[in-house]
Formats: sequence, C-alpha cells, structure tokens
Amino acid sequence: MKLLVPILCVIAAVGFGVSLWEAFVVAPPAQGLFFNQKIFYFHVAHAFWLFGAVGVAGICSIGYLATRKPGWDDVASAATDVACAFGAVVLLTGSFWAKAAWDKWWNWEPRLTMSLLLWLVLVACVLIRRFAGAGAERIAAGMAIFGMVGVPFIYTMVGSDQHPKSGSEGVAATLDPDMRPAFWLAVGTFLIWFIALLLVRVAGTRAEREVRELRERALDLGVIE
Amino acid sequence: MRAAILVFMLSLAGVAHADGDTTPSPADLRKTCVDAMNANPSFAKDIVTAADKQADDKRLALDKEAGERRAQQDDDARTQRTLTIAKDERQVIMAYAAMWIVAAAFVLFLWLKQSGLKAEILRLRRDLEAATKDSK
Repeated sequence: MKLLVPILCVIAAVGFGVSLWEAFVVAPPAQGLFFNQKIFYFHVAHAFWLFGAVGVAGICSIGYLATRKPGWDDVASAATDVACAFGAVVLLTGSFWAKAAWDKWWNWEPRLTMSLLLWLVLVACVLIRRFAGAGAERIAAGMAIFGMVGVPFIYTMVGSDQHPKSGSEGVAATLDPDMRPAFWLAVGTFLIWFIALLLVRVAGTRAEREVRELRERALDLGVIE
Repeated sequence: MRAAILVFMLSLAGVAHADGDTTPSPADLRKTCVDAMNANPSFAKDIVTAADKQADDKRLALDKEAGERRAQQDDDARTQRTLTIAKDERQVIMAYAAMWIVAAAFVLFLWLKQSGLKAEILRLRRDLEAATKDSK
C-alpha cells in the first residue's frame, strides 16, 4: 500500500510525458484555434476528474451522513480538497482558452457560471471544515452533496451559449480521430494523478483525525491545556 | 383634394395652350399653382411634413449604412484580433504554467501538511506515553 502512491505518480508522470508528445507532436492543429487547441487536452481531462472528485465527495458525504462512520468523511474531505485543485486548473486553463477562442478572459454564460459556482461551493466546504468548529463535517457533507447534484446541470448545460457542447454532440465525442489518442491518454493520466492525490490526501485527513483524537486524550490526561 | 386642384389647373393650362388664344407664361402658371396651394391651409404643412419625412428617411438610410460599415469594421477588427491571439502561443504556455503551478502548490500543501501532522502525532504520542508512565 505504501508503494501504491509512488507507483501511481510514476505512471502519471510517464503518461503525462507521452500525452504531451501526443498532444503537441502527433495530434494535428485544430482549425480556427490553431496551437491554442492544445489547451483542450488537459483542460477537459481536468474537468472530467473535477466531476469525478465531486462525485466521490458527494457519495462519501451521503455515506457519512447515513452511517456517521469517520472513514467516509475522511474520503469526502480529501476528495473535496482534490476537487478544489482540479477546479482551479479547469477555471484557469478555461480562461486562457476563452481568451484564445473568444478574445475575452471570461464569459458569464451558463456553463462557466455554474462551474465557478461549483468551485465556490467546494471552497466553502474546505473553509467550513477549517473554521466552522464542531459539527463542521456534517455541514460540509451537506454542501458536498449539493455540489454533486449541480454537476449534471453543468455537464448538460448546453444551448445558445458559446461554450462547446458536451455529451454525444460534444467536442470529446466528435473529436478528430487523430486527436483522440492524445485526449484519452490525458484523461487516463489525470485519472491516475487524481487517484494518487486522493490517496495522499486521505492519509492526511486520517492523520488529522488521529491528531484530534490524541489531543482529546492529552487534554483528558492534562498533558496539554 | 390637392391632386384634384392640380389636375384641374394643369388641364386648364393645357386647354388654354391647345386653344392657342391665351397662352399663360410659366410665371403665371406658377403663381396660379401657388395661389391654389395657399388656398388650402394644410397644404404647406403637408409639404413640410413630406420634406421632413424624406430628410428623415435619407438620414436613417445614411445612419444605417454608417452603422453597418462600423459593425463590419468592428467585426473585421475582432476577427483579426482573435486570429492574432489564436496564433499566439502565449495562451498555451500560460495555461500549462497555471496547471503546473496549481499542481505544485497542491503537492507542496499536501507535503507540508502531512509533515506537520506526522510531527504533531509523534509529539502527542510521546507526551501521552510519558504522562501514562508518570501516572503509573
């Protein structure tokens, strides 16, 4: 188990190198966006695993609220932190892509606005866990479920907006066959990276819980004040 | 009504011309027409209204043409600017830099937090063991 995270990191590093090669050397430049389309491979891959992380956080939060077992909360908390990092990457890379595609850094269209709101909900979860004190994990669990419910709306939020579509008509489904290996390799690479980060963070949240328990014992024994 | 008066006057003039006995001069004809027009009090107002409408239509057409030209120029400029940005590699470099910075910051955060927690767990365990020994 101790070796799992380093192995995953090595696989992710190799996968990242190969997907960079595929994206920048093998995949043809896209019409209209030219070189800037290279942002797509990592922006969309991060968006996929942002949704994955939010799903993990939401499901584990349901598990925690239903059973009150701290193991569920450890994973939910870790997944929320990872989702925050992935969300930041999605918003930043998306903003650079928007500048290239639309000549503006941000556009208040439905999917972008919903994505920003989702990220703010995740940040709120992290802040609640950090500052809300006793019972914070239950509030954070509720918010994580709220965030998870929002994901399908973001994914299917298509219409007259400027953002590329999703689903069967989306950019991933209708991608040029020469671009697909780079894209799916990036998705796989960032899945492994996501799992590695999640495992490390879960170990962190378990350690935090252990610290809390040790402090309580130390307080009971009068070792600390 | 105005049209009827005009037709009547012109037909009179035509008949007079055809008869050849009293040929009115153009000035007379104009005066006759002006008098007939002035006899109708709303006619001058109608002429002004018609002239204003013509001027408005012309001005609107010119404004529309200018607007379309400006919109086309803006569109061309925007397309050119977007094309310039699309061919600019800085967006890709900045996007990848942002991705790396966020990833590095997150890993650093995890590492620092984990190190701090490990140290605190060790310290608390040591203190607790010492306290347990003392109590025995």
